[in-house]
Amino acid sequence: MKKAIIALSALAVVSASAATLKLQVPSAQLSGTPVPIVLDNLDTYKGPQKEIQVPDGVSNIAKGKQVTSSDDFPMIGELTLVTDGNKDGAEGCYVEIMDGVQWVQIDLAKSSEIYAIAIWHFHSQERAYKDVVVQVSDDPNFKNDVKTVYNNDHDNSAKLGKGDQKAYIETNYGKLIDLSKTPVKGRYVRLYSNGSTTNGSNHYIEVEVFGK
Amino acid sequence: MKNFSRRDFLKTSATAAGGLVLSSGMLSAQKKGGDKINIALVGMGAEGEVLLNSIVKLPYINVVAVCDIWQPRCEFAAMRIMRELKQAPARYTIKITPKDRLTPLVKRGRIGEIKGENYKDLIKNHAKELDAVVIATPDFWHAPMTVDFLKAGVNVYCEKMMSDTLEGAKSMVRAARESKKLLQIGHQRTSNPRYKYARQVLLRDNNICGNIMACNGQWNRAVTKDLTWAEKDTIPQDKLKQYGYKDMNVFRNWRWHKGLGGGAISDLGAHQIDIFGWMLGAHPVRVMASGNRDYYKKPDGSPAHDWDDNVMCIFEFDKTFQGKKAQAFYQVLTTTSSGGGYYESFMGDQGTLKMSENPALTKLFRENNAPDWAPLIEKGIIGKGDEAAANVKVADSRESKALVSYGFPATVPGYEPDVAKKPIHMYHVENFFNAVMGKEKLNCSADHAFEAEAAVFKARDAIEKGPLEFSASDFVVED
Repeated sequence: MKKAIIALSALAVVSASAATLKLQVPSAQLSGTPVPIVLDNLDTYKGPQKEIQVPDGVSNIAKGKQVTSSDDFPMIGELTLVTDGNKDGAEGCYVEIMDGVQWVQIDLAKSSEIYAIAIWHFHSQERAYKDVVVQVSDDPNFKNDVKTVYNNDHDNSAKLGKGDQKAYIETNYGKLIDLSKTPVKGRYVRLYSNGSTTNGSNHYIEVEVFGK
Repeated sequence: MKNFSRRDFLKTSATAAGGLVLSSGMLSAQKKGGDKINIALVGMGAEGEVLLNSIVKLPYINVVAVCDIWQPRCEFAAMRIMRELKQAPARYTIKITPKDRLTPLVKRGRIGEIKGENYKDLIKNHAKELDAVVIATPDFWHAPMTVDFLKAGVNVYCEKMMSDTLEGAKSMVRAARESKKLLQIGHQRTSNPRYKYARQVLLRDNNICGNIMACNGQWNRAVTKDLTWAEKDTIPQDKLKQYGYKDMNVFRNWRWHKGLGGGAISDLGAHQIDIFGWMLGAHPVRVMASGNRDYYKKPDGSPAHDWDDNVMCIFEFDKTFQGKKAQAFYQVLTTTSSGGGYYESFMGDQGTLKMSENPALTKLFRENNAPDWAPLIEKGIIGKGDEAAANVKVADSRESKALVSYGFPATVPGYEPDVAKKPIHMYHVENFFNAVMGKEKLNCSADHAFEAEAAVFKARDAIEKGPLEFSASDFVVED
């Protein structure tokens, strides 16, 4: 394949019709004594996310977009942090919403073809978030035409349906949901979680949605 | 040796819990909050949050005010208290931005207003209604805050270290004595039912280790970057200076700087060095220590931190509760988190007790020449042995064979399954509030905690003054 010279924020373009998506990752920011991570369906991999091929012109269309949540008054931080482009793990770079099954939702402003979604919940401590479910829809209320693109709720405790994906350990590398082979269309992206192996709260540092 | 029975232990615990032998605690039994204890929280950083995790589970607590000069952390605490306790504490913080993010909640009466900037404003406005304050600020603020709250008639739970100076720690002890108020220091292991059981039932009542001649403890962490912060949350420079911080980096990483904190040997080591003395029932008489600043450099290569990343030390005890001499080795590394977690081992000629706040790391090892432990298992004093743990192939006939490991009994008295679910700091926090209510004695008074302070300060001095230096000629045989 012929290599092109254009480089978008997180994309290295490698041909006129396809590009390699490689996540730009923040520096590691672990602190404190590691705590045990006990979860039935845990994938213990902690390395970089794989590079995937996406069509030319795909970029992070979530940056700067409006974020709403099931918790309209975060415990700490603001919802704008979810799409502000800052993936740093420092204090003040994440938003913490309340306990239990909660969601944040990104309005992409128009219905878009989505090829990948990347998530950084929290990475200054290794932990795994429970019942991570990611859905895409054109319905802001997520009642119609809901496409679930990721679900690690192995026991359906979040009551959104049982998922067969594995829970994962948070690191600065983030979590990449690869939809490049089966892209989905929608204007809204909703991400659920149900606390973590550390505590009941739900955190988001950044979410990137790669589409066009 | 006294014959152990669970009933004895429960009776002992119940006596303490029943408040039959109370000192100054009784003086505080009159609650200002009616059915609830009125408290304030000062310092809502990482350790303040750990304590808050326990406090929000206590239905008898009423949080009157929260104070942290860093606005985002003060907001965080107020939000959690609103959400989990349905209370609206007044806030004391530096306003970083003119607009208060929480104004809509203030208008609805769900959260308190910002009524001042610091703990002195808080004392001025609330001292008369407070039963207690929980302090989890950087070390150098502990002494002035504790003394001021005690003088204002408020009982104090203060995190360790007591102070960044020995004089500061002494001032806290004196203020507690003079005020006749309670001062609990945050050495939480002294309230942990498993630690109390090990100290009394295993080491003393059943002499399970035989003669304890050595201790070994560690708390190792991987080297990590300095803590950072979001630019939008930067405290104005004049305010940082006013509160004793050179800049925002020092504010975030105060633990590593002289005049503010005490480094790893103080942050982590103080907990475990306290346990050495508490378990052995003795003060150390000598200490030798070594430390290095191996990481955290400035651009010119000079150390960016004042305190050592890695410290190893040996304490000597002349007379333990068994009337024996003992040595205790302790290491705290900021290099690797390997080494088997954090623990304190008590090593005797008949067995070893390895204690940790993590129950999974807590083990007993029986020496082959020790009396049979089967009766202890039968009585439920210890758990069954794990023969597999000893099934390690030896490489050479001179090598000591691995020992069978034993656990604690399935249920340690005072640590029943519902109790075991509590956060590890909760026992100590509850002990303090129970003492405020006149129901218990403090498990870690200022007088007790000062003993650990003295040991840690001396160990730090020994790094600079104590060890003998080798020279190259020491290793050369001259003609």
